[in-house]
Amino acid sequence: MFARRLIDNEALESMSSKTNMSAFRVTDQLRPYLSTLMGTGGFRALISRALALAATEVSWLRTVQVHADGSLEGVEQAHAKLGSDEFSEGRVVLLAHLLELMAAFIGEILTLRLVREVWPKVPLNDLDFGNKGKK
Amino acid sequence: MKTPNKIEKLTSLKKVVSKPAKVTIRKLPTGVRGLDEILGGGMPEFSFNIIGGAPGCGKTTMAHQIVFANATHDKPALYFTVLGEPVLKMLRYQQQFSFFDESKLNKDIRFINLSDVALDKGLNAVLEEIIKQVTAFDPRIVVLDSFRTLARQVKSDAADVEVQAFVHRLAQFLTSWQATTFLVGEYVEEEIRDNPLFTMVDGIFWLTQVTERNSVVRKLQIIKLRGQATVPGLHTVRIGNLGLQAFSRTLGLVGSKTKPARRRHLSIGVPELDKMMGGGILEGDSLLIAGPSGTGKSALATQFIAEGIRSGEPGIMAVFEERPDGYKQRAGTFGLHLKAAEEKGMLETLYLRPLDLSVDETMQEILDAIKRVGAKRLVIDSLVGFEMALAPGFRADFRESLYRMIGALTGAGITILSTVEVEDTFTGLPFSHYAISFLTDDIIRLRYVEIDGQLRKVMVVIKMRGGNHSKDIREYVITDKGVVVIHPRRTDYTGLITGIPQRTGPRKAQENETAPEPKAAS
Repeated sequence: MFARRLIDNEALESMSSKTNMSAFRVTDQLRPYLSTLMGTGGFRALISRALALAATEVSWLRTVQVHADGSLEGVEQAHAKLGSDEFSEGRVVLLAHLLELMAAFIGEILTLRLVREVWPKVPLNDLDFGNKGKK
Repeated sequence: MKTPNKIEKLTSLKKVVSKPAKVTIRKLPTGVRGLDEILGGGMPEFSFNIIGGAPGCGKTTMAHQIVFANATHDKPALYFTVLGEPVLKMLRYQQQFSFFDESKLNKDIRFINLSDVALDKGLNAVLEEIIKQVTAFDPRIVVLDSFRTLARQVKSDAADVEVQAFVHRLAQFLTSWQATTFLVGEYVEEEIRDNPLFTMVDGIFWLTQVTERNSVVRKLQIIKLRGQATVPGLHTVRIGNLGLQAFSRTLGLVGSKTKPARRRHLSIGVPELDKMMGGGILEGDSLLIAGPSGTGKSALATQFIAEGIRSGEPGIMAVFEERPDGYKQRAGTFGLHLKAAEEKGMLETLYLRPLDLSVDETMQEILDAIKRVGAKRLVIDSLVGFEMALAPGFRADFRESLYRMIGALTGAGITILSTVEVEDTFTGLPFSHYAISFLTDDIIRLRYVEIDGQLRKVMVVIKMRGGNHSKDIREYVITDKGVVVIHPRRTDYTGLITGIPQRTGPRKAQENETAPEPKAAS
């Protein structure tokens, strides 16, 4: 699935560049690009919707809040309490829903174009935007 | 070659210095079919314009087309969205149009949302952000959509002054940065008078949408465009897969080549009728065939086109009433094989019975076909059907538009035959029930007459603007050769044009005809 690959890809890039990795780094990385495009309010609305959808599948995401600038609150606290698989699942499901929403609104081609603005080298095989097979 | 002496050199230099070149305003393509011609060649570069009108007129689509037509890697376009349609929705809908090239997104075309800046910090911050982005990307085109909502957001006592100052500074900055700018906004026409914005901009592109009965008509008017002559008036606009298409009132025919000074007579395909017309229809003439149903108007039109094809002159048949297959089938019975001509690219048959079409769009279809086949002859069968195929709102413009098209096409040397159905009256000889005869050079009238207990057909050339013609009323029949003029002028009848002529000479002996059906027993 595309969301998981994006997260794995980002993890590899972060390790090689030895930068600190935030818990929801992919979503954080997308935020300024999407905020430029749709405004902070627009991004906040979209991530809130993605979070609401994701929280129905991954219960711990219910504790996460969206700030006015579209950043997420409560992720680090949850990370400390959860096992890595459980935490990773939440990360993937949220990103999958965000991408799925984007694809539903503007189509896969434009969604991919925006994603590749941030990660130009991300491989484009297996373009399943949905959260099927998220684990 | 003689080498110029010192004085000659000085004189030529003086000429150069005393006549400095005027600035040439480069014109940018709009990407909207028909609009460049309306604008007088395109958008003036570095101009500061407004695209205004009511919701649903196509303002944003027009802005997108301009952006996609001009944005390049080196000179991108910046599309600022402010408090209007959310960008996701904008992209969702705009990508349905064929001009939308997703490969340009966020490279050649950058969408930047300024809603938060506008809401939180006000106009000055919006201007600062625009300056920052324009300085960073050096765009060719800048769009601010929706400018109206941005201006409305200002609520101070000096709101008008604040907005005016913003527009002034924005225009000054963007022009200095060599950007061509479009402010997109929802305005009503009354605002043009009072809103200083309309005085400040270089161009006003005004879109309207009018509902008449069940049809919707979109129109475009270039209310103002500094620096160049535009085509005045209201132009029809349609939104389709291609995006916005504009149909110029001049139909793009301004400056097309003119009629040759010495014109040939072209055969109509009916030898006796050619003689009646002094050798045939003059090249570049518009001929109207008027007559009631069943008198052979379409047959004559077919013969006219077929004769052209035989002479190597491609043709277009714009058919509004009868289906093309029926048309071709009937032509076949006259020995005229139109299908073969179509296959050779010598003929195109347009069957135009759409709903809600504007007259200009229909004419554009005809003009496109004329260009495709290099047509020299055009048939419009019939004008009544043509008018009926139009949306009700366009019917009022029918004659005016037809006049423009026929004038331009015949001016370019294309010979046109139009048909019109008229009812036979028994007291006069009307050419048509609406006054369209003014747009034709030549008129042939067909009509029924009662002679010797039979309903026969006669024709007469009423008018030929370019030359003399026979004044004879001639009888004709429709046979397997098409329309065939038979009898020479009949002098044994008077009042033929009334339909019920009076015999003036002695009645000729006639054979009794057998009744087609036995009479019913009384």
